[in-house]
Amino acid sequence: MEHTSLLERILRGIALTLVVIFFMFPIVWIFMMSFQTNETILRIPPQLVFEPTLANYTALITGKLMTAAGTLDIAFMRNLWNSVFLSVTSVAVALLLGVPAAYAFARHKFRGSEDIAFTLLSFRFAPALLVLLPLTLYFQKLGLANTYFGLIWVYQLICLPLILWIVRGYFEDIPADIEYAYRIGGHSWFATFRKIALPLAGPGIAAAGLLAFIFAWNNFVFALVLASADKQPVTVGALAFITSSGIQYGQISAAIVLSITPTLALALYAQRYLVEGLSLGAVKG
Amino acid sequence: MTAATVQRARPSGFRISKRVLPYLLSLPALLVCIGILIPFLTSVVYSFQRYRLSQPWARQFNWGDNYISFFTDPKFWNTLQVSLLYAGITVVLELLLGLAIAMLLQKRSTLNNFISIMLLMPLMTAPALAALMWKLMTNPGFGVLSYLASLIGLQDFRWASSPSTALLTVVLVDIWVYTPFIMILLLAGLRSLPTQPFEAAALDGVPRSFVFFRITLPMLMPYILTATLFRLLDSIQQFDIIYAMTQGGPGDTLTVFQVEAYLNFFQSTNVGRSAALMIILWAITYFLSNIFIKNWLRLRERARGQA
Amino acid sequence: MYEKEKDLIDAFMRGQVDRRGLIRGLGALGLAAGTAGTLLNFGQTRALAADFDWQSHKGKTIKLLLNKHPYADAMIANLENFKQLTGMNVVYDVFPEDVYFDKVTAALSASSPEYDAFMTGAYMTWTYGPAGWITDLNEWIKDPAKTNPNYAWDDFLPGVRNSCAWNGKPGGELGSEDAKQWCIPWGFEQNNITYNHGMFEKAGVKVPGNMDELVAAAAKLTKDVGGGVYGIGVRGSRSWATIHPGFLSAYANFDQKDLNVSADGKLSAAMNTAESKAFHKQWVQMIQESGPKDWSTYTWYQVGTDLGAGASAMIFDADILGYFMNGGDNKMAGKLAFAGFKANPAAKAPTPNIWIWSLSMSNFSKDKDATWYFMQWASGPEHALFGATKMDFVNPVRQSVWKDDVFREKLNKSYPGYVEMFDASAPGASIKFTAQPLFFDLTTEWAATLQKMVAKEVPIDEGLDKLAESINGQLKEAGLG
Repeated sequence: MEHTSLLERILRGIALTLVVIFFMFPIVWIFMMSFQTNETILRIPPQLVFEPTLANYTALITGKLMTAAGTLDIAFMRNLWNSVFLSVTSVAVALLLGVPAAYAFARHKFRGSEDIAFTLLSFRFAPALLVLLPLTLYFQKLGLANTYFGLIWVYQLICLPLILWIVRGYFEDIPADIEYAYRIGGHSWFATFRKIALPLAGPGIAAAGLLAFIFAWNNFVFALVLASADKQPVTVGALAFITSSGIQYGQISAAIVLSITPTLALALYAQRYLVEGLSLGAVKG
Repeated sequence: MTAATVQRARPSGFRISKRVLPYLLSLPALLVCIGILIPFLTSVVYSFQRYRLSQPWARQFNWGDNYISFFTDPKFWNTLQVSLLYAGITVVLELLLGLAIAMLLQKRSTLNNFISIMLLMPLMTAPALAALMWKLMTNPGFGVLSYLASLIGLQDFRWASSPSTALLTVVLVDIWVYTPFIMILLLAGLRSLPTQPFEAAALDGVPRSFVFFRITLPMLMPYILTATLFRLLDSIQQFDIIYAMTQGGPGDTLTVFQVEAYLNFFQSTNVGRSAALMIILWAITYFLSNIFIKNWLRLRERARGQA
Repeated sequence: MYEKEKDLIDAFMRGQVDRRGLIRGLGALGLAAGTAGTLLNFGQTRALAADFDWQSHKGKTIKLLLNKHPYADAMIANLENFKQLTGMNVVYDVFPEDVYFDKVTAALSASSPEYDAFMTGAYMTWTYGPAGWITDLNEWIKDPAKTNPNYAWDDFLPGVRNSCAWNGKPGGELGSEDAKQWCIPWGFEQNNITYNHGMFEKAGVKVPGNMDELVAAAAKLTKDVGGGVYGIGVRGSRSWATIHPGFLSAYANFDQKDLNVSADGKLSAAMNTAESKAFHKQWVQMIQESGPKDWSTYTWYQVGTDLGAGASAMIFDADILGYFMNGGDNKMAGKLAFAGFKANPAAKAPTPNIWIWSLSMSNFSKDKDATWYFMQWASGPEHALFGATKMDFVNPVRQSVWKDDVFREKLNKSYPGYVEMFDASAPGASIKFTAQPLFFDLTTEWAATLQKMVAKEVPIDEGLDKLAESINGQLKEAGLG
């Protein structure tokens, strides 16, 4: 379809290669470090050749970390589980609440709709630090401190505005005529939403869901302040390798690799939706 | 389709539900979030108090004093300047780069799809940990990036530790982490554009630059605005990367809002001042996003008008 | 089982067998050192139980907030003994050091009753105490009904113990008559020199005896060791943590202070004296010539990592940082040595500033008496000895542990010069800062000023004058100056 000259193809290829190198090099380097100990990581100058070891992964998975100061117990797998649980639940709740709301804002201009939408967005303005102290105080009074429920609630501040505003854009791109035609066919509002709007906005929902998942996954301030050690996410867990007897770069790298894996798996699984975009070209045309 | 069929097919009760339905759909989301307003208002109250945790006996309302003191404080103006500069540079560069990458990957192919997912990996790395790794990679002795820099003649490049290159270095890390965010949103946007205008333009032999500026860009604009808005909101509140890399230094080079507020809160336990800083940051983001949303809505209206 | 062993331990308790005899005897009976340690403590636990009603809080549970640290690990390793001794239960939350104090501040500022006792540094109690978050422990220490007779409060190193006591008045002397004991010292760090003796030999450098020699030695090491090795590792990040180790230890050795306290209790900046400026000049020059290239990002772990990996020839930082770098899988393990450092040629001995990991009692604890049972056990002589000899509970804060032969032998065997370093500098070791609530504001700004000086953004004299001016302004604004 596209007429591209050879030169352009080459230039595009070079540009893409540079992009891939820039973004992937640190990842590859971290991946390599995860198979090394400090002894080979900390060489001057850094070298490519090393004898790979699985010690870091063994330590993380079994929960026994050998350091200069003896064996430490670590709860990394517990942290990983907390991250999975908190992120999955938070995004699920945010999707349940956010997608219908996004649909409402996209399809129905109702009194105060823009105000409500903007208010929801504005929750994203408030830096976590601003609400931290009062939030801790109120959570304690309400008995929400140190509960998953409380955390998932607070995580809505991260997930909901993102999902709402991204998905809203996708809903607005669906021509209203399609839905209207379906409704005229005698179908209920809900059936239209479910059968037409949702599938068509699927890619947008997938992208927003994945991004919200990533942001929830990477947040740790809320859990740190509002919950005890057994509910901490993987980010806090990985910081434990800055031990008093030295920083364990190998284990931090392995922790990063392990913490990327679930998200990456999710992204690969959802790939079809993520990068397809709205397949409306034909419909619109 | 005739008007008659429309009348006949319209389900009963359509009008009523149409009025109530949107509220039913959007209120749960609002209710869940509204709880946060109470802590927010509490913090507004704090910001009008002389409130140091270490001097509880001296806690009292000082009304605007926390705010007024900022105006004469050169450190505050530095904070404002650095925050806006940081947000401006990162958002613009990430937008340009993200758009460029999205366009490189626009064509649907297995390889392109795979690359686009792989490029998300920096975003999946928690920024605080990513910064720790960058700190190691830019270490003058053990750091692979320092080593590579020395190979191309930058023997003494100091990365985050020199005032002249610290901003550049944290911006680089920010770009590494967050460009994929913009890229993935714009890629989805690009791929969902209708093909018809482009085919027509190709048939007419319209120059590519014209197509890009007059067709692609305007059609993509709502996506660009959404992506930029969220990136801007996060960037002006940046903390993890800057704090992990330099703790706001060297000197006062990188004392952005969140770093200052964090130090004021957790180290100085000066809650009043910390809250006032955060409220100012909140006001700035409110103002900026208002501009964005207004434009976003206008573009949407226009798009609808065209359709 | 273990009957013979128990007899032997009881003999030790009665004083019939000395400690080394006991360990040898247990070894002969085929017990591994670790088991012997636990058993020994079990014996001591039984001995403890004899003269104090340890069981009066039986069945209660207390919760601790701990930093991920070898001290906490040593306590956890010995915790079973406490549970047996008292019939109490102890649960704990451990957080990484990087976020630990944020967690403490968050929990305490919200008046959370969740934690009964927690680990802290002495500097932090200058905030926590006046804020009303922690309890003055004198009430328990001085009550014989609540504290067991073997506790031996006088056994603590006086400089360390006093550094944890403050009367709450800005500028008030640490350890004064009216001081409140905000925390109990647990383990502490002196700031001295740890060096790589191979590199020192190679460059033909002697252990420096004063500031001039230190600057010269660091420069020579940078020049002569080769392979990109730099002379001296010190911290440089924009944080209070940059000021408190080597920097303040040397600074205090020249009788320089951070703040002046006037007769009427007003505070004012004291870092722009002529002597201070001369010292800053030397310090800045040392970093520019022979410090790490990316000094301004350096926190303790980078200082340690470089020494352990052989990227630096010496550090002027916490002694236990050097201690840990001399073990484990560090490249330079076993190749490091220790020395006290006296910056001022006119001074008689080193005067290291110290960091003290301590235990504080939360004011929001629901059962303070029970919490004190844990605290007196955890800071008691038995646990100190167990931790120091069997784990890495170093440096101990109790004089009796430093007199213990097994402990001294352990150090002498693998940590050359450590005991001498300790003996030389411990008498002068204490907190050299002025206790006041703006501690973190002032030290952070001090560090930022140092960074500007090292980056040559501001001349040293002018930088210090500006710093003093800014600090005086902040003190006035807070009602302290």
